[in-house]
Amino acid sequence: MAKAKIGIYWAAACGGCDCALLEVDEQILDVVAAADILLWPCAADPKYKDLREYKNGEIDIVLFNGAIRTEENRELARLIREKTKYLVAFGSCAQSGGVIGLANQSSKEEIFSTVFGDTKHWPQQNSVADGYELELPEFLPKLTHLADVVEVDYVVPGCPPPKEVVSELFTALVDGNLPQTGTVFASSKNLCEECSREREQKKITQILRPHEHEPDPEKCLLDQGFMCMGPATRGGCLAVCPAANMPCTGCAGPTANVRDQGAAMLNTVASLIGTGEEGEDQLEAEDAILAQFDDIVGTFYRFGSATSIFKERYHEQNSPAR
Amino acid sequence: MDNKHEAHEPRIVAFLCRWCSYAGADLAGVSRLTYPPNVVPMRVNCSGRVDADMVLSALEKGADGVLIGGCHPGDCHYVSGNYKTRRRIALLKQALSEVGLDPRRVHLEWISASEGIKFQETMTSYTELIRELGPSPVRATKEAVHG
Repeated sequence: MAKAKIGIYWAAACGGCDCALLEVDEQILDVVAAADILLWPCAADPKYKDLREYKNGEIDIVLFNGAIRTEENRELARLIREKTKYLVAFGSCAQSGGVIGLANQSSKEEIFSTVFGDTKHWPQQNSVADGYELELPEFLPKLTHLADVVEVDYVVPGCPPPKEVVSELFTALVDGNLPQTGTVFASSKNLCEECSREREQKKITQILRPHEHEPDPEKCLLDQGFMCMGPATRGGCLAVCPAANMPCTGCAGPTANVRDQGAAMLNTVASLIGTGEEGEDQLEAEDAILAQFDDIVGTFYRFGSATSIFKERYHEQNSPAR
Repeated sequence: MDNKHEAHEPRIVAFLCRWCSYAGADLAGVSRLTYPPNVVPMRVNCSGRVDADMVLSALEKGADGVLIGGCHPGDCHYVSGNYKTRRRIALLKQALSEVGLDPRRVHLEWISASEGIKFQETMTSYTELIRELGPSPVRATKEAVHG
């Protein structure tokens, strides 16, 4: 059997997804035995020129991590789509824009000022250094996710994808046994199914933050008032964050059949908030709990803002400034 | 800008609970009370059934405003559905203002089955408010991206 041809590409990413590929330990050797890696900018030195020379559909599968932030990201996403049979959105950024999707709440000017300081330090799209002409890719007006630019065949969620899920993908790859397209690797159930914490179905009477309060290690984090995204988040990671006493931040995205992860979480939390009794005389106390939220979008849409209505900053006059 | 607003007819989706607000709409109807045709009523079994995703979907698909009508506190047919939606809408409004949207684009109102006149007045004043706010910027950006 001819060896499979695979590629790994990073767009607007932190590099964590590339590291996550190695989390599978020695299984990576099975992958290398079964497949030739044609493209992996993080580990090898392929040129875009080489990629352009492959025939359309010549590569069997490409794991694409990172969001679409620059013109280069977008161009490569389109090029890779042409050259590969199957395209995998690997990790939260490729799946839904990821945590960096929250940058859409700031303008390009605000982002550049924060990163580069004074405008004189801002990178120029075209410049000359040591006699060489340099051209930087355009910074797109908005960050978006892979499926907004090209068709995606599989999704491997997580920030970064947990080794159990990566291993599942590699096993399917090595055995030449990929599931039907559209499959999201990882569990179809939510994270709570995998969490060993004890749930008491309590009401949320206060909103706590993990850097201000130490959670009880045995009890459900939501019961205690920590905004754990477990109920609205796809499982598959074996609930490693709650096991480490940290609330789930929702990196694996929505469960199957849910469109909007943040909305699902918002519903859950709104139903749980309360004093233990429902009634007109409780409304004031409920409002006091609701007032403790300061960043709903950043909490419920930490990884999914770029695929939701919160994918940009609007400018309505009567809206209070942040 | 003002000219554009004048030409713009607001599109409003109203999720009305079957037991109170929708019955209130029926009463307004049989009483021959007139109100602006900009409101598209959607009957739901309880205001507590209005998922945050339903409201956000309406806004993403082009609604300029979303109104949720439920039973007055203490009157919910399912005991506490209206309290749940009250908390949900409070969080949703805060989320909208966090990204620079006017939180008044989502509005919760208690309208009972006997309040046909309140239904008429609410629909009229809410349509006027949304007309004043102008077209939703969500729709504008959607057109800009895919147009």
